[in-house]
Amino acid sequence: MEETKKIITRKEILKQFKKKTQFQEILTRFLRNRLAIVGIVMFAIILLIAIFAPLLADYQTEALGMNPSERLQGPSMAHWFGTDEMGRDVFARVVHGARTSLSIGFIATLFSLLIGGALGAIAGYVGGWLDEVIMRVMDVMLCLPEMLLAIAIVAAFGTSTTNMVIAIGISRVPRFARIVRSSVLTVRGMEYVEAARAIGANSFTIVTRHVLMNCLAPIIVQISLIFASAILAISSLSFLGLGIQPPAPEWGNMLATGRQYMRGNSHLVLAPGLAIFFSIFSLNLLGDGLRDALDPRLKQ
Amino acid sequence: MADEILKIKDLVIQYVSDGEVTEAVNGIDLELKEGQTLGLVGETGAGKTTTALSVLNLVPKPQGRVVSGEVFLDGENVLEKSEREMEAIRGNKVSMIFQDPMSSLNPVMTVGEQIAEVVRIHDNVDEKTAMARAREMLETVGIPGERAGEYPHQFSGGMKQRVLIAIALACSPKLLLADEPTTALDVTIQAQVLELMRGLKKKFNMAMVMITHDFGIVAEVCDEVSVMYAGRIVEHGNLQDIFDNKRHPYTEGLFNSLPDINNRKSSLKPIKGLMPDPTNLPSGCPFHPRCDYVCEKCSKEMPPKTWINDTHYVRCWLYENTTESRLTEGE
Amino acid sequence: MYKYVIKRLLALIPVILGVIFIIYLILYLTPGDAVTTILGVNYTEEAAERVREELGLNQPFLVQFGTYVLNLCRLDFGNSYITGLPVIEQIAARFPATFILVFVSMALCTILSLPVGVQSAVKPNSFFSNFTSALSMIGIALPTFWLGLMLILWFSVGLGWLPSTGSLSVKGLILPSITLCASFMAGTMRTTRSSMLEALNQDYIRTAKAKGVAHKDVINKHALKNALLPVITVIGMNVGSQLGGSVLTETVFAFPGLGRLLMDGINTRDTPTVLGALVVMALCIGLCNLLVDIIFAFVDPRIKSQYSKGR
Repeated sequence: MEETKKIITRKEILKQFKKKTQFQEILTRFLRNRLAIVGIVMFAIILLIAIFAPLLADYQTEALGMNPSERLQGPSMAHWFGTDEMGRDVFARVVHGARTSLSIGFIATLFSLLIGGALGAIAGYVGGWLDEVIMRVMDVMLCLPEMLLAIAIVAAFGTSTTNMVIAIGISRVPRFARIVRSSVLTVRGMEYVEAARAIGANSFTIVTRHVLMNCLAPIIVQISLIFASAILAISSLSFLGLGIQPPAPEWGNMLATGRQYMRGNSHLVLAPGLAIFFSIFSLNLLGDGLRDALDPRLKQ
Repeated sequence: MADEILKIKDLVIQYVSDGEVTEAVNGIDLELKEGQTLGLVGETGAGKTTTALSVLNLVPKPQGRVVSGEVFLDGENVLEKSEREMEAIRGNKVSMIFQDPMSSLNPVMTVGEQIAEVVRIHDNVDEKTAMARAREMLETVGIPGERAGEYPHQFSGGMKQRVLIAIALACSPKLLLADEPTTALDVTIQAQVLELMRGLKKKFNMAMVMITHDFGIVAEVCDEVSVMYAGRIVEHGNLQDIFDNKRHPYTEGLFNSLPDINNRKSSLKPIKGLMPDPTNLPSGCPFHPRCDYVCEKCSKEMPPKTWINDTHYVRCWLYENTTESRLTEGE
Repeated sequence: MYKYVIKRLLALIPVILGVIFIIYLILYLTPGDAVTTILGVNYTEEAAERVREELGLNQPFLVQFGTYVLNLCRLDFGNSYITGLPVIEQIAARFPATFILVFVSMALCTILSLPVGVQSAVKPNSFFSNFTSALSMIGIALPTFWLGLMLILWFSVGLGWLPSTGSLSVKGLILPSITLCASFMAGTMRTTRSSMLEALNQDYIRTAKAKGVAHKDVINKHALKNALLPVITVIGMNVGSQLGGSVLTETVFAFPGLGRLLMDGINTRDTPTVLGALVVMALCIGLCNLLVDIIFAFVDPRIKSQYSKGR
């Protein structure tokens, strides 16, 4: 009797000491970060609005349909954010603008992740002159501000959604390439890879597996930060007239047209601006939170 | 009383982080006479460095907090002094050498500037005189004076520790706190630095607190030894008391952990277990879970000081009944 | 030291050439034809051929690029398709405005964010520190051009204190430079704060304190000098991003600078102007990087001593 009791208690003690899985640990750290929670909730709301935009406001009639008799009205129960110079509902346009920004931003981020990741991996694995060439090109691209590079690309190929995705995506390629390359190099130099190679294992498979594990954390963090910068770039380009063209609703071009009427109609520039701000703000909070949770050493 | 350069009374220091309280120093008493050297021995985390920092009133804030106790430096309680008064004392009356010479020098200042700075602050001299003193100090610690214009990264670890010694001694302090000054160095360099420190101590006629976990160093430079465990001094005495007449099971354990070069067949007898979690110290004597002689009382109450002779005390229930000897000797 | 500067300068040349190459390549691939820009839609094949000949457009790409770079060395950026005037004249007319705008904004950003960053690192859990950290989170997320619009709404339309169009006067520079520096201030502040925090945790700070160095000297002399390196890097990188941001700021405030020139060039499909504006911006960024490298050498003795040994 006495003996069994002892065993149980020991088991219980052991249970307490049992290490949580890595994922659980990351999750706990993330959930403890209040700002990160604010970020993820805020972003989730924006995402839901974008997904269910058609339920909130009809695209054809409300976001595009002109109604000159109701032009330039302030916020009211019928039009929460007021109406614009053509009598369109600003709320409907902001909501549908979220769809545009999030989807294009996401595709552009994915695009730069794929290209940057591939280039970084090639540079890291193959090494030698290929690595040298790829990384020099990346260095040169980093010397050119992302904004200017994107402007140059759009200016050259003309304004279209595809060109904007390419412009924003390519201008952010170096960031991903650097992360992937450095994590390939780190993993390649690690002792367990040497050890595995020493016993005759295929180092390519080992490296690949560990590279994925190794660069996942910084890439996830970078995705959220680049997503934010892509959203900003979309609206910046559109504001300059180089992105999404009116009458399609996009936050940047709404600001560009709204600014001509903003004297006395501040709602025209307030709503789209706040929409951009909250999208970027939430993604930045999310990115910072992820960084702290995934790699506590990086915490400032 | 006057010749006591350092007197610590019932010092308690806590660290608070994430709401957890760590008792770093838990009621220690120390006394050190002018020109004497005290060895502070114990494992990492025993509270040795914290004790030394309290003498400079530099226990890291806001986590660290002196809860109670007094630290008299040359008759003055440093814990009651203002920050400005302390700035005049630090580096002047008392200096400290830290464990890691590699990172303890400012990488963007020349070593000469770093030595001259302490001279300028305390001796109120102009830049030129201070620099001359700096060169002089470099020579004193065995580095050519012309290297004063070089930066720390141009020096080796042993040389850096010499520079730090030069900084510490530049204003002829009465007390030097040396926090494991040789731990980070190569063995041959260790001996050189130790020899240098012993010579300089004599030359400057200062007292020294040598923090270490190496009984070899204690035997080499110390007059008295305090053995610390979990923020408490568990045994204190002069060299003879501790080396030939040790009483506390922990002290014994520390000695047994040393390899015996004369008898290679004798096996090491390491102390079982690990240092206790400082946020959750065992009740009573903190050593009792690891002690071979543990008795019932040990887990209930912290043993008081039991004086073995005039210079030697131990805090252990094993010697409870020898208190009479202290009484008779004390009369 | 000269050796170091020359070495950095030589390292800079291929980078700048590379940047120019990328810009040139992108604009070379433009689907439209320069001929339509110059002659309009109705032109004879003869006239078109003459234009192509004149501009060297019928030559291979690398020859065109080589000619362009060689001409650049003589400060010849080509002639505008629209006005026919040398692009360098337009750049010379617009460059000072952008230079002053970016300079004022950089100065503002540094003067404001450095002390704030230092102070919030010295007292990391104070109200001040938390407040400024929150402000910087918001600052980073603020879209430059929207901030500009809001400032115009408030200070020009609402209060009527400042003009809504930017110009090269004290009043005309206030709003554009605040707009331009806001988002960079947040980044500079954060970098200052984190690198100060790191410096303050170093062992040499403890040594300095144990020496009796006064609190303010520990911070300003010992910690700040060490913390400065990453801050200088960030400020240097800001110059590039600010030039990028100036395109937006200048559009918002109708400010007569390079950014406007670039946008005008894009809108009129005036490739030489677009190219010229981008190349000048790239050159500025390159020179700024050089400047950062030189400042680095003065702050970091590890670089300094490396090159003074051989003297």
